Amino acid sequence: MENSGVMAVNSWVVLSASIAFAAAVFGGTMAQGKAASVALEGIARNPAAADKLQTPMILALALIESLVLFGFGIAFLILQKFAA
Amino acid sequence: MKLLGLLVLLFSSSLWASGGYNFFTNASHIFHIPAHTLALIFGSLVFLAVGVYYRAKVSTVKNVVIPDKGVSVRNIVESLAQMMINTARSVMGEESTKRYFPYVIFVFCFILITNVMGVFPGSMSPNQNLNTTLALGIFTFIYFNFQGIRAVGFINYMKHFAGPMPALAILIFPIEIISISVRPLSLALRLRGNMDGDHLILGIFSELVPYIVPIPFYAMGIFVGFLQAFVFTLLTMIYIGMATAHHDHDEHEAHH
Repeated sequence: MENSGVMAVNSWVVLSASIAFAAAVFGGTMAQGKAASVALEGIARNPAAADKLQTPMILALALIESLVLFGFGIAFLILQKFAA
Repeated sequence: MKLLGLLVLLFSSSLWASGGYNFFTNASHIFHIPAHTLALIFGSLVFLAVGVYYRAKVSTVKNVVIPDKGVSVRNIVESLAQMMINTARSVMGEESTKRYFPYVIFVFCFILITNVMGVFPGSMSPNQNLNTTLALGIFTFIYFNFQGIRAVGFINYMKHFAGPMPALAILIFPIEIISISVRPLSLALRLRGNMDGDHLILGIFSELVPYIVPIPFYAMGIFVGFLQAFVFTLLTMIYIGMATAHHDHDEHEAHH
């Protein structure tokens, strides 16, 4: 009985970690897609500004990506703390 | 020669997947030093070797303006330095670039070399451990605060955090302090997460399909390593630029 209880907790932990990371990735990809599409649109309209747009675009992508990685870290933390 | 390299890559990737073999982890059992520290020492030695080799190469060349033919260490080093100095000029300005570029290029080269180490099978990147990246982040934090205080003085540096309006300073000041204090942590977590995630994906795909399929992920590993080194350096440059900026634009605009 105790064993089955542990199993149930573990499966919930795995599920919650997966959902946490999936949600983080979903938000991050939406934001990165928007940032990249706007930047590419800007470059398409004014190809001469490509060099100036590239640095802020990479910066924005990196800042968005860092939040996804925080989500990854938290999912990892959940797994490590509770699924052992 | 190229075929040999490809074969080595194929077989070593499968070796890695099957055994999870890691040179630095094995060596850490012998030396009783953590694996990431050993990897960091190895990366530093590679960095030193490339630096010494480049310096020796440049001192023998007759005309330093003319680049070598083909892909050589000198050409790679110089093109990267050119790229970084152009970025630094556009982000920090000409004067700040002269003053702060040595630190910036050190961070870039060091992170690039240690990131690319992770792509070699049986090796690891020291940036997969939060301790290494946090050390780099804290160095950047100390450096930009120190340079900011040195450039504008302590009182003026604190005025940066208070915002433009004195009435709102009591609200803005704590927010700014928090947002600056988390910078080393966010730099460290970004670098560590990217490198570890990349290594993990490479490992998982080598385990799923040991041959051919992981090769694009090796390419992606090199690209991500380069990009993360660039991002870390770019943020360092932006932080230095923000910390050392003289906030007298209003007076200048009044004159124009």
